[in-house]
Amino acid sequence: MDELTREFLIESQEGLDRMEHCLTDLEERPQDTALLAEIFRSVHTIKGTTGFLGFKRLEKLAHAGENLLGLLREGKLRATGPIVTGLLELLDGLRGILKTIETDSNEGEGGDGVLIARMEELQVPAVMRAPQLIEARLKATAPAVEATPTTSVAPLTPEPMQAMEPGKAPQPVVDAPAEPARPRAQATAAESTLRVDVALLNRMMNLVGELVLTRNQVLQATAADPNLTMLSRRLDMVTADLREAVMKARMQPVSNIFSKMPRIVRDLTQSLGRRVRLQMEGQETELDKSLLEAIKDPLTHAVRNALDHGIETPDVRLAAGKDPEGTLKLRAYQEGSHVLVEISDDGAGIAVEKIRQKAIERGFITRERAAHQSERELLQLIFVPGFSTAAAITNVSGRGVGMDVVRTNVERIGGKVEIDSKVGKGTTLRLRIPLTLAIIPALIVRSVGQSFALPQGALSELVHIPPGQAATAIEWMENAPLYRLRGKLLPLVFLDRLLEPSGKHRLAAERDNFVAVLDADGRRFGLVVDGLADPEEIVVKPLSGVLKEIGLYSGATVLGNADLALILDPGAIALRAGVSMSAEEETGRAVEEEAGEEARKSLEYLLVEAAGSRAAVPLDEVLRIEQIPLSRIEYIGYRPVLNFEGQLLPVEDSGGVLAAAEGDPQKQIVVVVCREGNRHVGIAVSHVLDVAAGGDLFESGTARRTDGVTLLKQHVTSVVDLGGVPALPGAEEAPAAWSQMAETVE
Amino acid sequence: MSASGVEVSQEAGLVEMCSVRVGRVLYGVPIAYILEIVGSARPQPVPLAPAFVGGLVHYRGDVLTTVSLRQLLGLPTRDGPQDILVLESSGGCFGLLVDSVGEVLTVSSAEHEANPSILDERNKRLFAGAYKLKGSLLVMLDPERMDPMRLGAALAA
Repeated sequence: MDELTREFLIESQEGLDRMEHCLTDLEERPQDTALLAEIFRSVHTIKGTTGFLGFKRLEKLAHAGENLLGLLREGKLRATGPIVTGLLELLDGLRGILKTIETDSNEGEGGDGVLIARMEELQVPAVMRAPQLIEARLKATAPAVEATPTTSVAPLTPEPMQAMEPGKAPQPVVDAPAEPARPRAQATAAESTLRVDVALLNRMMNLVGELVLTRNQVLQATAADPNLTMLSRRLDMVTADLREAVMKARMQPVSNIFSKMPRIVRDLTQSLGRRVRLQMEGQETELDKSLLEAIKDPLTHAVRNALDHGIETPDVRLAAGKDPEGTLKLRAYQEGSHVLVEISDDGAGIAVEKIRQKAIERGFITRERAAHQSERELLQLIFVPGFSTAAAITNVSGRGVGMDVVRTNVERIGGKVEIDSKVGKGTTLRLRIPLTLAIIPALIVRSVGQSFALPQGALSELVHIPPGQAATAIEWMENAPLYRLRGKLLPLVFLDRLLEPSGKHRLAAERDNFVAVLDADGRRFGLVVDGLADPEEIVVKPLSGVLKEIGLYSGATVLGNADLALILDPGAIALRAGVSMSAEEETGRAVEEEAGEEARKSLEYLLVEAAGSRAAVPLDEVLRIEQIPLSRIEYIGYRPVLNFEGQLLPVEDSGGVLAAAEGDPQKQIVVVVCREGNRHVGIAVSHVLDVAAGGDLFESGTARRTDGVTLLKQHVTSVVDLGGVPALPGAEEAPAAWSQMAETVE
Repeated sequence: MSASGVEVSQEAGLVEMCSVRVGRVLYGVPIAYILEIVGSARPQPVPLAPAFVGGLVHYRGDVLTTVSLRQLLGLPTRDGPQDILVLESSGGCFGLLVDSVGEVLTVSSAEHEANPSILDERNKRLFAGAYKLKGSLLVMLDPERMDPMRLGAALAA
């Protein structure tokens, strides 16, 4: 049973419970409109939701009841005994079906014709009904059977009398809920879940945020004291688990909002004369409730846009040689710490040239800039407020009404909107939503004598340029600093010069330079900082309006050492420094798209050095590179392990790095944390050398592809066999002989 | 002194002011605006922020923007820890950075006089008159006008 159905069941059951209360009260106060309204609401809610879920039987029955209740609510009918009885029968009927849904996930077979007919029968005012019935009501207390009405309700006749006997509960009459009193064998959905006020969850989230801060401080304070290590580790783990649990409690599947789309699509296609097939994928992807709420409107807007301006009418599509039925695809999936929601259509696409012309005409960009801007940058213009509302654009480019609203809403929650479009092929709008608002992983960097937090999401790699090398490594084109990253020029932004334009800055050659290579919306640049500190999970605190206006900071946070740090916004820094989206990036993407799998064949490897010899680790599998003192390596028996973020990481040491460093607990070693299947393993190395593309090697004569080695920088280099790292004991017996790692061939 | 005590004394024409010192001048802030006094704080500077921003401080789980009274008055900045008055204005909470916080003074509203006409425009906007104390003046500050958002808006205009 899916989440939506379960929620519907809980809601409906609660609604029916309320309805039962109200019905019994109604018998005493038939004129009470508040009671009637409450009953009407319960039935109406059920009817409304069943439409989405496709429970036709339930919908039909609820509809019949709603009609009757409508008349009662409007005062056209008085809530007489037979009516209340009828409504109670309706209640039981609804409950019966709900129960069937809960056990069998479908409504089950069964006719409600009798009950529906009764609802209709009751809508006729009493005075117009057969005299026998009135008589029967007058003789209410007598268990008279002779007052049988002549209509189709015949088999239900004894019911009205019974219901009006004070203190006696009405008996179910319909066949469907045959055993209402049967003890429930298992906990129902209503019993195993609890509804919690969102405000309380928010408060819990805030408190957990505070706890994370305190934990960070405790960890830093106790790092030196071995007596407290165990305690602080425990605190660390419990905090992490608690945080996860609280975050989980706030998660809801995106199906909650996707499920509203078929209806919108159906209505819109009918009114717009389109033929559209709606495909939905990844409905089970979960997102924080507040974020889900926040993307509801942008998503609806994007769907409307795709139908209105993206997908053409059937005859236009036929003329263009396309399937007359367009496809609208909604897809949600998780990628790292983000959830991506894609809305793609196979419609007309956006003509970039027209955007360029319009943008110049309307004075959004100069002719010179327009000529230099890439297609991707020009596409972004449809998000500019004012631009999008221009009628001409809407007609020619086929997209744009209110796109600025979509972007504003998504950016307000720290998300991003990306758009890709090909004329004649269609448009894809991608909403990139952070998993959570409150806590993000960040790298702490130092500049202008202060700490700043740099969100890990935008960070792709770090490069260290020692003072001696700065003069040659950083190249200048007039006043634009550049760095050659694997043969390509990377624009550099000096954080200190950006933050203190008038201050005195030391020359790059006089200090350590750390380049954080960032990718902000396709703007790739290197941010040069003075120093790096540890990565931390930071709790994002909002800034006051006056500081938000500076535009470079997305918030502030309290670090483990109780210092405050401003959170840098990589996108804003790129814009401020004038970094544009690189054309190279774009062609790179295009090639990847065209060539598809072909381009992926030459893998990138991390080149490492372990005790004098070189080895390669597939870059895709590398999660992090950690520099740690040898003392942090612990042993289970003879097997080295690392307590890494509260989890044990088996460390592979076939290179003999640990053995070589033995006896010097303060010696720094490097552990490359890799993904292997669904577990993580660490590889101990002395240095990380570079990242290089590896080529396949073929055996001479047989031309068989060799396994476990690759050609890196003209050297045959062995690839570390991650799968060969044995699992830690516990789950399965530790293999007696372990540590067969591919030998290193230089 | 309880909150109801303020009411009573106001009826009698007496009001309570928290005195703060910046440079050699004594300033007063109505205690009703003060949420808390944080002593010896070192606010974190914010590069590129408007000059009046004294930096950020951690206050009860939130990050609070502070306004430097020295900067507002055009005095040179001072190194070393300063005291912070956490104030509540209609725009939210903010911190007011002062050299030191003194005692709470009970003053009579009869002793209050409006801003003198010779005061320059900048200070006219910040001050709300003064109370005549024995031997000195207690220059009144209007917390509403110190709100960073308002100052920021004034700066932009």
